[in-house]
Amino acid sequence: MITIELNGQQQPLPEGSAVSDLLATIGCDGKSVAVVVNEQIIRPDNRSAHLLHEGDKVELLIFAGGG
Amino acid sequence: MDSLQLGSYTFSSRLILGTGKFSNATVMLEAVRASGAQLVTIALRRFNREQAEDDLFGPLSAIEGITLMPNTSGASTAAEAVRAAHIARELSGSPFIKVEIHPNPQHLMPDPIETFEAARILAKEGFLVMPYITADPVLAKRLEEVGCASVMPLGSAIGSGQGVATAAMIEIIIRESGIPVIVDAGLRSPSEAAHAMEMGCGAVLVNSAVAVAGNPPEMAEAFAEAVSAGRKAFRAGLMQKSGSAIATSPLTTFLGTY
Repeated sequence: MITIELNGQQQPLPEGSAVSDLLATIGCDGKSVAVVVNEQIIRPDNRSAHLLHEGDKVELLIFAGGG
Repeated sequence: MDSLQLGSYTFSSRLILGTGKFSNATVMLEAVRASGAQLVTIALRRFNREQAEDDLFGPLSAIEGITLMPNTSGASTAAEAVRAAHIARELSGSPFIKVEIHPNPQHLMPDPIETFEAARILAKEGFLVMPYITADPVLAKRLEEVGCASVMPLGSAIGSGQGVATAAMIEIIIRESGIPVIVDAGLRSPSEAAHAMEMGCGAVLVNSAVAVAGNPPEMAEAFAEAVSAGRKAFRAGLMQKSGSAIATSPLTTFLGTY
């Protein structure tokens, strides 16, 4: 297992997990969600190829109401 | 056709609507439709797996003629705002970005130095930059010079409902500006929006006044009408103010002469 930081919180994941695996693990369909790994934006077509590593900082962002 | 030009985008509506603070997404969407707004702001926030959220992006994008303008709210430095802008563009596909950098939650006043720096970088990258600023004519001109699509000086503090307290400064900004000036923040009533438009603003951005109204869709419509009336009055040309009375009827005293 590895541990990543997801939106500021610890998240365990099986070794060799890709971004798409993380999204499936937390029940996020990945639509309308921006994925940022270590400050790099991971586009939807690259999410199953981009592997996560110990200590990676992952941010998942969505749109919400705002002025 | 009297339209608002922002970069290569043309809008017939001069009311920009914010989507925060509504009681729920349904009411917000109804208000957006009622407002006739074609440019709508939206914010970024972290995905929360415990709290299933209404997806705002889908339904908002589905409204015909809507262009989204993400903001950088939450950023307290230029670097954070630039990062937020990149993420927002990725999600929305929109070139618009409202640069909003307010480090102090007590007063939410925009940081002019960080805002200028973020605007300069993002304009260079091809964003249509709409910076939220204090009503400072010098800063406004500097932002125009680095390629912003508009400047958005505050009427008064965000959510305060104090109206266009900065009217005198905004008039100077409008006089000096070659890009649209949009009053953003502080408006409480449609009459204040009309006043801003009569002054020559290109548009107004309203959020709280609509979102927390007793009937948000109806208030949105009222703002749309006021913005339209104010714009029409500006184009028609307001009369000059005078320090003394100037009669509108003939003053011949014929009634007492027979």
